[in-house]
Amino acid sequence: MTTVLLIVHALVAVALIGGITHQAFAACWPARRKEGFFTSFRAVAGARYTNANVVLYLAAVVLGALIYPAYRLSVRTYLESARLWSYNGPFEVKEQFVTVGLGMLPLFWWVWREPLDPAKAGARAAVTAILCFIVWYSFVVGHVLNNIRGLFGQ
Amino acid sequence: MNIERTFPIFAAAFAVIYIFAVEQNWALFTYHPRIREWGWLMEPARSGPAMHWYGWLATSALGAAAVSLVALPFTRRWTPPLWLGWVIPLIVMVVFVYLLRGFFLR
Repeated sequence: MTTVLLIVHALVAVALIGGITHQAFAACWPARRKEGFFTSFRAVAGARYTNANVVLYLAAVVLGALIYPAYRLSVRTYLESARLWSYNGPFEVKEQFVTVGLGMLPLFWWVWREPLDPAKAGARAAVTAILCFIVWYSFVVGHVLNNIRGLFGQ
Repeated sequence: MNIERTFPIFAAAFAVIYIFAVEQNWALFTYHPRIREWGWLMEPARSGPAMHWYGWLATSALGAAAVSLVALPFTRRWTPPLWLGWVIPLIVMVVFVYLLRGFFLR
């Protein structure tokens, strides 16, 4: 069951990473014309991603919370016994970053509510960029830890 | 009254209360994963490790909701600055990296 939840957690994270990155680029580095791949990536209507990103973030947190006990009992125990402190640390940081991001979700939803308020453009870009960073960081750390035995196991 | 005006305060309060919850171990409840038991407030490990993250999360959510409720009447005439909602969490994130530096410096 934990494996199924872990895979769903990863799939939700993949969807979230796509949505939040589109939205962050649309807020921080908007483009009007859709000429090439990268310009098209930035030229999306960021507000359309808001509800989906909020739901995906919450889903990723809930799924992460469900599989956390299994991580605490087996993976972290392994990290500690293998003295892989520099891999245990990033997860501890991920846990705190994700929680801080959780508290920013209502503000994130508000600054992106349509019609978009130009006075909130700065906050919109900042909040979205921070959440995008949290999601990317968490994704990479989660991915490495998921493969930790393959990377460092005997 | 517009509850949305308190969202920057909620984000800031959530982050600040959370870092205190982690550092002072203000967990509303504790989970013992090996024996699958829950306990109120901060409990030492019964058998196997004790997990406090769920409790810290609940403490922060309730605390930030309370702070936002207290601030709600003031938002009739005062609009909380939006930067509160992202500068304070950003600072808290940096402080967490500092607090957890021991993992990376061993």
